[in-house]
Amino acid sequence: MTNDRTVIPILSLRGLRKSFGAAEIIRGVDLDLRAGERHALIGPNGAGKSTLFHLISGNLRPSAGEIVLGGQSIGGWSPERVNRHGLARSFQITNIFPKLSVFENVRIAVMQRHRLQYNAWRRIERIGALREETERLLEQVRLQHQAATLGGEMTYSAQRSLELAMTLASNPQVVLLDEPMAGMSSEETQYTAELIREVTAGRTLLLVEHDMDVVFSLGERVSVLVYGQVIATGTPDEIRRHDGVREAYLGEEHAA
Amino acid sequence: MGSAVDTLVFSLLNGTVYGLLLFMVSAGLTLVFGMMGVLNFAHASFYMLGAYFAYTLQGLVGFGPAVVAATLLSGAVGVVVERCFLRRVHHYGHAHELLLTFGLSFIIAEAIKLFFGNHPVDYRIPPALDVAAFTLGRQQYPAYRVLMAAVALAMFGVLWLLLTRTRIGIVVRAAIHKPRMAQALGHNVQLVFMGVFGVGAALAGLAGAIAGAFYTTNPNMALEVGVMAFVVVVVGGLGSLGGAMLASLLIGIVTSLAVGVDRSLADLLAVVGAGAWAEGIGGLLTLKLSSLAATLPFALMLLILLVRPSGLMGEKA
Amino acid sequence: MRTTLSLVAAGVALLAALPALLPAGLLIASIQMLIAALFASAYGMLSGRAGMLSFGHAAYFGIGAFATVHAMNALGGTGLLPTPLMPLVGAAAGLAVGIVAGWFATQRSGTSFAMITLAIAELLHALAPQLKGLFGGESGLSTMRAPAWGLGFGSTVQVYYLTLAWVLLCLGLLYFHSRTPAGRLMLALRENGHRLRFLGYDVHGLGVSAFAISAMFSGVAGALQALGNEAANYAVFDAGVSAGVVLNSTIGGVGSFLGPALGAALMTFFGYAASDATQSWLLYQGVLFVLVMMFAPAGLAGLVAAGARLVERRGWRTAASVALLAAGATVLLGAGGVFIVEMLQRLCSQDYRALAQAAAELPAVRLLERPWSPTALSTWMLPAGLLACGTVLAVVARRRVGSAT
Repeated sequence: MTNDRTVIPILSLRGLRKSFGAAEIIRGVDLDLRAGERHALIGPNGAGKSTLFHLISGNLRPSAGEIVLGGQSIGGWSPERVNRHGLARSFQITNIFPKLSVFENVRIAVMQRHRLQYNAWRRIERIGALREETERLLEQVRLQHQAATLGGEMTYSAQRSLELAMTLASNPQVVLLDEPMAGMSSEETQYTAELIREVTAGRTLLLVEHDMDVVFSLGERVSVLVYGQVIATGTPDEIRRHDGVREAYLGEEHAA
Repeated sequence: MGSAVDTLVFSLLNGTVYGLLLFMVSAGLTLVFGMMGVLNFAHASFYMLGAYFAYTLQGLVGFGPAVVAATLLSGAVGVVVERCFLRRVHHYGHAHELLLTFGLSFIIAEAIKLFFGNHPVDYRIPPALDVAAFTLGRQQYPAYRVLMAAVALAMFGVLWLLLTRTRIGIVVRAAIHKPRMAQALGHNVQLVFMGVFGVGAALAGLAGAIAGAFYTTNPNMALEVGVMAFVVVVVGGLGSLGGAMLASLLIGIVTSLAVGVDRSLADLLAVVGAGAWAEGIGGLLTLKLSSLAATLPFALMLLILLVRPSGLMGEKA
Repeated sequence: MRTTLSLVAAGVALLAALPALLPAGLLIASIQMLIAALFASAYGMLSGRAGMLSFGHAAYFGIGAFATVHAMNALGGTGLLPTPLMPLVGAAAGLAVGIVAGWFATQRSGTSFAMITLAIAELLHALAPQLKGLFGGESGLSTMRAPAWGLGFGSTVQVYYLTLAWVLLCLGLLYFHSRTPAGRLMLALRENGHRLRFLGYDVHGLGVSAFAISAMFSGVAGALQALGNEAANYAVFDAGVSAGVVLNSTIGGVGSFLGPALGAALMTFFGYAASDATQSWLLYQGVLFVLVMMFAPAGLAGLVAAGARLVERRGWRTAASVALLAAGATVLLGAGGVFIVEMLQRLCSQDYRALAQAAAELPAVRLLERPWSPTALSTWMLPAGLLACGTVLAVVARRRVGSAT
């Protein structure tokens, strides 16, 4: 947690803009993500957090500005290309394969790194490395006992854990988590926060969350997005004391 | 030289009339597709039903009333299809609905073969309308074609006004773009769906009742026109009435003009001296454009799907 | 697993023994059933497993047929490609065209994808009669099976075994494919293609691969037909052929591996059996299809699976009674419906109309070796009664199943 300004950021947004027709949603965002840090992104509803995630992960093309990942400009890249370059994201609305088993869900996610997508000559059960890595991931998110359950039939928080496992399967350097605690009870939230802390150790994490306790405990640095612009970046304490932020956002913390 | 121009004008007129006919069939299809996401395979069946209803009733009540009755009956069948069949499988997903409409179109075609036989029926223009509208060069232009065109244009005008100027139109458009929101605002979206489906079917029925008398009325007419209607919808853009009109005219005119062109690519290449070489290769290069006329709409559809997938006037996805 | 394996072995044994059990006419029908089963399985792989609904699969079947005819004419008897290996040509042609067509078609998904596949097939159907060199114009191309490997291939029995061998091989390959990484990915493609992109997959490439493999096996099916008929005609590109495979596969149930094959075999068999007895066979097929879509969306295979679940939950006796009721309902409803359709068919036929115009009152219709007067109430009471009883049985069966869940 040093303030070393010579550290080269692993993910960098420069002057990023995105318009939909006449509506400009992202209006010039500058953000630096340092390697290995856990960075939280907060902001009121409609600020553009999801749009920002879509831009970074390749779902949307920027209207202007730059997205630099590990020294490579990735703005406008397709989602698969971005993922192969070391960035993975999760989704706010659980985005799994509901009719496949938990094991299969994770295995599909793992398969890509093993370059097996066109392999039609080996029985999949025979590929040991695949099975081992899938089991390891399941253990990491503590789903190993539900491996045979169908994805669509699990509890909500178990599905979120599955979503997390799938996001990590490609062994990404940078992980984007989109409201991972959405809809969870406080127990589930605590559990998931711990899980996230564990599994993202050694990786860079950009996290969007509304639960302020999670934000301030997990986040090493916090950025605040309001009306498509980052109005403040700093440690949780700095953000808590920032006047502009209090005005724009923290004042409504308990209203929602 | 004069007759070549006449032929050209004839081709253009015929193409326009055919295009307008296509529009009558595809107008309902594109609206329903844009609104419900359901590609109704059975849509062209309503076209066929309209023709057969009119044929059956023509002997009883005369041509005009038969056409009107056929339109209403087709609409009624459409409402029944939506209410009793489509609505029940809606929750299985779009693919399922598509397959169901496909099956229904199959049944309707077979049922028609059952009742009327597997051959064309003698549905004809009443002698009163079988006159010439005007003379062009040495040929006469049938008044009935002009009538078909007029009906199609009237249909376009009425639909356009209904959708853009009336309250019902606004509700329908809202239901097309955002059905859940429209429902949340208190509109009976189910009723709207049923209504649009029924109106679409009625329009197709009207097209069939009118066109069936001029072209042939047979159990295969649904497939012939139906595929074209889909091409129109894809080329014009889902849910876009203007796109359907544009695409229909485009396809109608291009097809009609192509039928008159007895030249091939080899002839074109002959202009630059490569004629003999092209003739030697044969195959596609020596095919006359007139023979290829039937394939042009499909080629156009593939082109549009690749270059501008949302259609000429559709919304960008 | 053991039971499945022994069932499969029994099935293969039965199929191998068929030539000894069936007369020549039925053997020809069996060849058609096998070909239809393979075509449907190829289709089912794309539509059921990968979730891509194709409405123009006849294109690849037809390309396989024509390619094989050309190969047979060019190479037959030279020893370069003996007759039993000719389906490889169909596979290659289907694969090649499938890659190209699939590249275009998979740019879109869902209904648009279906429309592109339809357009491609229609394009071929419209183009084929014009390209006389490739497709033989309106009359098509013909060829002859050349002897190879000591066999003449002139008899139906030999053609049957050749077809059976290829169909079993291809079904085996398709099954194996479903157990490979590529095969498992098809399921993911169906479930959530969107997510696959964010997991690093080139979803378009996956789609093309699925499409091409399905087209390849469709090409083999087409090749087998060309081998059997010693001919290929542009009618093979007809929308009806594409429609047929969709109908067959869906009735059988695309959710299971053998569903489409069984559906196709069944429908082909009924087509043969019924087309002599009635002119309205296609109508019955369509009605069956719609009924399956409305009430048994997982197809006949799904019904079997539901039956198995019922046995699990309520035991054999309940399941048996439900099955009996359902069978009874099906028979009664079917009989009533068929009676009405057959009566209508005769009443509306041209012969009858001529007869009716000449006579003073509506003459009787011959059905099932008996005359039925169309104006008599008793005539229509029969189907009404059948339908009523059938409905009652169906309702009772439904109630029994309902109380089990």
